[in-house]
Order: sequence, then structure tokens, then C-alpha cells
Amino acid sequence: MEWVETTAKTIDEAKEKALDQLGVADDDAEFEILEEPKAGLFGLIRGEARVRGRIRPTEARPKVERRRGRRSDTSSASTPSDAGTTATATDERGDDTGEDTGDTSGGAATRSGNGRGRRGGNSGSTGDGAQRSRARRDDRTDRDDRDDRPPVEPAAVGAAAVSFMEGLVEAFGLQATVELDIDGTELDVRVEGDDLGLLIGPGGRTLLAVQDLARVAAQRKLGDHETRLRIDVAGYRERRRTALERFARTVAEQVIDTSSPRSLEPMPSADRKVIHDVLVEIDGVTSHSEGDDPYRRVVVTPA
Amino acid sequence: MAPAAKATLAHIVASIVDDVDAVEVTETDLGDRARLDVSVADGELGRVIGRRGRTAASIRTVTRAAAVIDDVDLDIEFVDD
Repeated sequence: MEWVETTAKTIDEAKEKALDQLGVADDDAEFEILEEPKAGLFGLIRGEARVRGRIRPTEARPKVERRRGRRSDTSSASTPSDAGTTATATDERGDDTGEDTGDTSGGAATRSGNGRGRRGGNSGSTGDGAQRSRARRDDRTDRDDRDDRPPVEPAAVGAAAVSFMEGLVEAFGLQATVELDIDGTELDVRVEGDDLGLLIGPGGRTLLAVQDLARVAAQRKLGDHETRLRIDVAGYRERRRTALERFARTVAEQVIDTSSPRSLEPMPSADRKVIHDVLVEIDGVTSHSEGDDPYRRVVVTPA
Repeated sequence: MAPAAKATLAHIVASIVDDVDAVEVTETDLGDRARLDVSVADGELGRVIGRRGRTAASIRTVTRAAAVIDDVDLDIEFVDD
């Protein structure tokens, strides 16, 4: 069966167009929604709704085909095949530094109160006695004093990351405080202040790049170390997680209601994991990821 | 014309290399946009670029975010000399 792909202002209009092209009635076609119209919340703003549809194959369930990027010619991959062939199990490699030249101000630039306490769910390294140290401007690591002592203290890695972030905030001309939490080998650097949206970027992609660079910087200054370093800006990660979890549940309901697969916006691996983790708990849907970073995306299908 | 981006690029690169004093960032006005050329000490460009260009991509992302403050479109070149 041939898929046709259409775009329009709304999903319904796009479906109409597809039906016109297929020359069949609604009941005889099946659809996959590729893009919501102006999906401003999770990812890039593209404006138009995009769907693809085909004549419903007799007694076959909707299937999902592999798509690479969003411009690939889907009609060439039209041989009906088992839906299972495209399902790659949950992915999660860590490389999601998509280079985006685009509008960095469009992302979650708003700042809000943040009641975070990521205390639970640690990997069981040190349990309760998390030392909390507050790093300030005066404990910058000295650049000229780099000797390669093999055992690197987590505190030293944290200090290097804090120093990197303070310098970055300063270069951006922003006012912010940088705080460090150390829990065993888990390091959390938190940046708080006003107007930090530029450090987060659309879909958190700038923040991912910032974190990547903080890791590189800490490693360069101190050599290899066994720590897990995370950077958060203005409580973005926690807010993002909450919003993603809510979003995942909404999508699950829609997929169950419509019995149609849904393909979500491209997201970084950490975000995809949040979605997968929610959906695995919900009966009636399954999820997997398709495509290559930075366009890799979650596809939700009726179970 | 792009002071925030320039300061950001210089800070990031200096944080990555060993020879901090050898880091140079020069700015070129291209009319409707600007270009930043960054050069580092011999043998250190590889660590700035990173495996499969990953670090370079992150550097570009963050530096371009700073260029929003400068309100300028930016090209970033890693100069091998």
C-alpha cells in the first residue's frame, strides 16, 4: 500500500487532503499523525499539521514504518510488513547534541518557582548522608595548577564544573548563583537566577550542550573520573520531566481512543526515556523510538 | 559586535585546552553577520573538536545562544594553523 503524506492547518484538513489523494472514504483509510499543528510545547515550531495515510490493508493492524528524518520518501518503503520489524527496543544512547542554529529564545524560557528535591531514586551509593556543599565564586579551581593525580575527588570535579558554569554565566552577562550538590559520585550543579532561558534553549538543547561542555571541561582539568555530572538551569529538568509525563499520559489516551499510532516530536534521549518510562506502565500502548539523532523520536502504538 | 558570543567562546575553549594563553578568538564583521575564528595551541584542536565533532557542535550551540544577546547571526570557525 502506498502512503500519502499531506500537510494542512489542522489534522482534520490534512486527513481530508490525504483522503482526496487516496480516493477512498474515511473508513477505508488509516492515518498516522506525523506533526501536530504548531506544536509549540515540545520541540520545534513547524506550523502545519502533517499526517500520512493509506488505504487500510485488509485485516491488518496499523503498522509503523521506519522513517529517517522528516523528509524521507515514505512511498518507497511501502511493502507491507510486520509491524514488529521496526520496533527497536528502548534506545537511550547519550549523544544528543543536535546543533541548532534556530531560535533559541523560543524554548522554555520562562522561570518559575521550583520545588525540587531530587533525593529519591539515587543509585544507592551513599544513601542518606548526602553532603551538601555550597560552591561560591571564591573556590574557583586554579587553572595553572593541574597535576594529574589519579584519584579525583568528586568535590574537585564539582568545583571545576561550578567554575565553568560561573564563567559561562558571566560571559553571557547574566546574574545567577551556581550551587553544587554532591551525593557520593553524583554531582548536581544548579544555576538559579533571572532570564536564564538562553542557557536552556528550545527543548533544552542548549542546556544539553552546556552540560556536555561542563563535562569535557571538568575532565580536561582533572583527568578521567567516575562521577555523574548533571547541570540544571532554573529548575528546567524537573519542570520538563513533569510536563513530559503529563504529555505522555495524554498521548496514551489518544492512541488508545483512536487506535492509531502517534509519532511524537524529535526529543533528546533523556526526554524519550521519560516518555517510555510512563508508557510502559500503561496498558494498551507500546512505544519505541525511530530515526537518528537529533531527529530521533518516540512512536506510540496501540498494543 | 558580538561581545557576549566572543566572551563565551573564549571561556569555553579556555576551559577545555591545556594551554590557555594560546587561545585566540578573532572577530570579523561580515555586514549582516559576524564570524568568530578560534585558534588554539598546536595539537589541541582535536580536543576542542571532540570525538566526531561532538564538542565542536556543543560549542557552536552555546556560543550561538550567547549571540542572541548580541543580536547577531554568527559563524564559528575552528582554525587549524
